[in-house]
Amino acid sequence: MKPWSRTIFSTVVVSLLVGACSSGGGTPVPGTASPATQPSVPAASQAPASAAADVCTAPNAKSGTTLTFASYGGVYQKAQRQGWLDPYSKLTGVKFTESEDSANATIKAQVESGQVTWDVVDVGNDFGLDSNSNVLEPLDFSLIHKDEILPGFVGTYRVADITYGVVLAYRTDKTNGQTPQGWADFFDLTKFPGKRGMYDYSAGGIFEIALMADGVAPKSLYPLDIPRAIKKLDTIKDKLVFWPGGAKSQELIGSGEVTMSLMWNGRAWSAKNLDNKPVAIQWNQQILTADYLVVPKGTPNKDEAMKFIAWATCAQNNAAPSQFIPYGPTNKNSKPQADKVPDLAVSNVNDTTAYFDDKYLIDNAKSIDDQYNAWKTK
Amino acid sequence: MAVQGRPAARTGRRWRSGLRINRWAWLAFPTIVLLVVFFLAPLVLMAIRSVTDPPNAGLSNYQTFFVSEADVRVLGNTFYIAAISTVVCLVIGYPYAYLMHVVRPRIAGLLLIAVLVPFWSSLLVRTFAWEVILRDTGVINSLLMSWGIISQPLALIRNTLGVILGMSQILLPFMVLPLYAVMRRIDPDYTQAAANLGASPAKAFRRVFLPLSLPGVAAGTLLVFVLALGFYITPTILGSPRETMISRFIADQIQQRLDWGLGTAMAVILMILTFVALALASRAVRLRDVFGSAEDGA
Repeated sequence: MKPWSRTIFSTVVVSLLVGACSSGGGTPVPGTASPATQPSVPAASQAPASAAADVCTAPNAKSGTTLTFASYGGVYQKAQRQGWLDPYSKLTGVKFTESEDSANATIKAQVESGQVTWDVVDVGNDFGLDSNSNVLEPLDFSLIHKDEILPGFVGTYRVADITYGVVLAYRTDKTNGQTPQGWADFFDLTKFPGKRGMYDYSAGGIFEIALMADGVAPKSLYPLDIPRAIKKLDTIKDKLVFWPGGAKSQELIGSGEVTMSLMWNGRAWSAKNLDNKPVAIQWNQQILTADYLVVPKGTPNKDEAMKFIAWATCAQNNAAPSQFIPYGPTNKNSKPQADKVPDLAVSNVNDTTAYFDDKYLIDNAKSIDDQYNAWKTK
Repeated sequence: MAVQGRPAARTGRRWRSGLRINRWAWLAFPTIVLLVVFFLAPLVLMAIRSVTDPPNAGLSNYQTFFVSEADVRVLGNTFYIAAISTVVCLVIGYPYAYLMHVVRPRIAGLLLIAVLVPFWSSLLVRTFAWEVILRDTGVINSLLMSWGIISQPLALIRNTLGVILGMSQILLPFMVLPLYAVMRRIDPDYTQAAANLGASPAKAFRRVFLPLSLPGVAAGTLLVFVLALGFYITPTILGSPRETMISRFIADQIQQRLDWGLGTAMAVILMILTFVALALASRAVRLRDVFGSAEDGA
């Protein structure tokens, strides 16, 4: 064998090894959209410090503490950083390190191994009820203003930090000038031809919207009639394009790969306002839900974590991230910036608005998920 | 793989003596420690967890798996898709490796690079590239539609076709390289002799070259098949839920459902079935030739 071909061959072998290692794992994490022009000054936190020294204006935090805040990254976490973390640091001297890969599994792993490095974690509505009590600290409601939080959005181990809507988003250029009125139109392939984007998760709204499309009232969704939902879903199964996360949903509707999609309202807003795509939201029959802050059990910074959570859910601070991304406050008394109000899910609540029954979804997670998997892989 | 054979090419004879191996054996020590600590031990812990989570689980996780309609279907999918990918790789890879074998060495080098260049970019990047090419609003469909050849997009993605295209491209080097390694070792005099004895080129290929290349076929097939069994991202991105493979379900159990007992049981099942596949294959081919083809005739 000639020397040069020998070189090639060893390169081959090395790259085979490298390739073999890389071909197995990893989670697809499509890049998040870049934020558009943003107001530079976080406004909400600048409440006068002269007011009564309570947790909302002058939290008794230990300067120099470093809290680790875990959330979902991208423009979302950036909004939380600008709205909450930076102002809180400035106010108290508490420093933050961040993790952008919040996952229920990681919380479980940290607690089980006794190596808890996350202090405050932003989680979805499918986590943080009593069934997760083994991995979470009960929140300190002597600090958190529980009575000001929207009813149903606070529990022993979690308090909602932002609200959002699971909405019907559609391409205004592909609906022949008609406006889809609700989920029934999502399933109407004759009136609105084209593919449909769908969150690939059994508790992400797929069964709820199918039932609403089939005529079930938003208030009567639970207990879920899954066979009925599946029958309805079968009518559009071949047109469904599943997305694993928000960035992908934004990309699917932006490229026109789908003409309608079940989406999180912030992602639909980004497609329209950041990517400049002809996308609109139908707020009718939105499912209003939230992300929650939790504290993993055994964190050494428990007390400081509680103070920060109490501060971030205060009336004067809670709406701050909504300046940057249209995810709304959870504190009833919180006032978002006026020009942001129309884009928030909480501002678009009406008689048709639905709510997840988190307890039902968590208690029945296995059965719901099994039925979902059996249906979708068939 | 062939790694250990390479640096010794010049001193091959001394390398083979027992004395040398003993003196240098300690070099393998870090590797062995690494394997035990970061591979073997976690594997054992995983297997233990599959029967102890929840406490006193016994075989209940395994039972859960085998009574679940979706789990069994997805396990079947996994082997089905892995098998098709392997066949496609063989059908493309054999002629390709043969071409590399018959052309001048410099051209063979170029062909080798052509197989490998995609290999140097991330699997994710390549999979997303396939998506951009294949989807309804992708390169192929928008071109064909703008030329008026089709009016509706062709179904190239979110089906078995998309998954097989993506996986075959990623796995092709694992087929071509073992094939080429074996073919290179076939003495050209054999086919020459067959021709001298009156065999047509086709017959010489069929009766002489092909049988001699079979160890390469076995090696490539086995390698590609076993690797394909573990695929996760490519079927998720290029397929529909009907093409879901078992690794994806394992990840769901671990990350989303937090059911680590069932998740680890699924992983153990995949591992056992992979070993079964290897055991079956070992009756047809010496595994040593597949995974330790050190003695190439350089």
